[in-house]
Amino acid sequence: MFRPQPRLTGMLPVLGLFLTLSSTAHAHMTVEGAGEIVNGVLHPLLTPAHVLILLALGLLLGQRVPLDLKRPLRVFAPASALALALTTTGKIPSVYQPMLIGIALCLGILVGLAVKLPRLGSGVICAVAALGIGLDSAVEIGSSFTVFKTLFGTWLSLNVAVTYLAICASHGADKPWARTGIRVVGSWIIAISLLVLAFSLRKIK
Amino acid sequence: MTTSLKRIPWQIPCLVLLVFLMPSTASAHTETGNVGGFLSGFKHPLTGLDHIVAMVAVGLWGAFLGGRAMWTLPVVFPVVMAFGGAAGVLGIPLPGVETGIALSGIILGLMVAFAARPPLWVAAVIVGFFAIFHGHAHGSELPEAANPLTYAVGFVISTGLLHLSGIAFGLLVKWPWGRIAIRTGGVAIAAIGFGFLFKII
Repeated sequence: MFRPQPRLTGMLPVLGLFLTLSSTAHAHMTVEGAGEIVNGVLHPLLTPAHVLILLALGLLLGQRVPLDLKRPLRVFAPASALALALTTTGKIPSVYQPMLIGIALCLGILVGLAVKLPRLGSGVICAVAALGIGLDSAVEIGSSFTVFKTLFGTWLSLNVAVTYLAICASHGADKPWARTGIRVVGSWIIAISLLVLAFSLRKIK
Repeated sequence: MTTSLKRIPWQIPCLVLLVFLMPSTASAHTETGNVGGFLSGFKHPLTGLDHIVAMVAVGLWGAFLGGRAMWTLPVVFPVVMAFGGAAGVLGIPLPGVETGIALSGIILGLMVAFAARPPLWVAAVIVGFFAIFHGHAHGSELPEAANPLTYAVGFVISTGLLHLSGIAFGLLVKWPWGRIAIRTGGVAIAAIGFGFLFKII
């Protein structure tokens, strides 16, 4: 089995800090001076709703002992590729944001309860998460090649982020304090999602 | 020189680099009524002493009880608080919010002061009950947030860190003098709660 490097866990605060980036940074933005691939890589990491889902999914997969990423990634990688490809057709409506938060809420509950999902369940969760994030990552401007490069960067970023977070989480599987910490993060994701859903409902009202 | 540089954790330069990636609007105009953004959410739980002492008390009591309570209480509080916050955001009325918040300081402070050790579920119910009042107060005080998600992230992380500070304080329970310090802290928290209940503070 792959043994993660202890230093990998040190990246968690760095990823957490991405959540602090302000609102102007997250909506299909482009970082001036950065190439298309880099912009694609940064997109899910600078979109708070995507970060929440990726964080929750990574932690959920990492809670499973022993770590088995092959099966979930066999679903997540093609599903995210499919969703990103669908955005290029221009016929897919934009994803309803509370739906993304709803996915994060479900994942947060599973992390908080430390649920051991069956293979089918984890496959479905991965597919839903991948489709949600992928369909919300449309690139609106640029030539076909530019769009392709950006979406490739996004796809790479999504898969690396989930894999990395799962490996980090699995590293703490034998440490009670780390398992507790993961569940606490899950409860935070639940709380954040509930508050955001309430804000969304208020806007509807 | 080389040795001292090697001692710097590699995450530090990463964090510094990320700070430069933050756009300027991340910290701008948070004092002028724009509620959106992480910083506004982060600061919100820190603006009321009654909230602060209650949240610290949750962590403190959890650490004092030890075992599963140390993480159960800080997990229960934000989740239930979010339900209360949602009710507040949606304008669902809840009577006696300020009284409930003041009572939370008193009850939780007294639990710590008297080293009360109820069953875990009882402790969770007490903490959850008061979390509703705190959440409702926060939720109903919020005007239209420019960015609800980053606001909520800041809000929840700030609350969690307050619990964590209580847990850190509660870890002093290992030492005899630490137990005295913790119970004194409980008395102080209860006293602040009384102060808010009788409008002295």
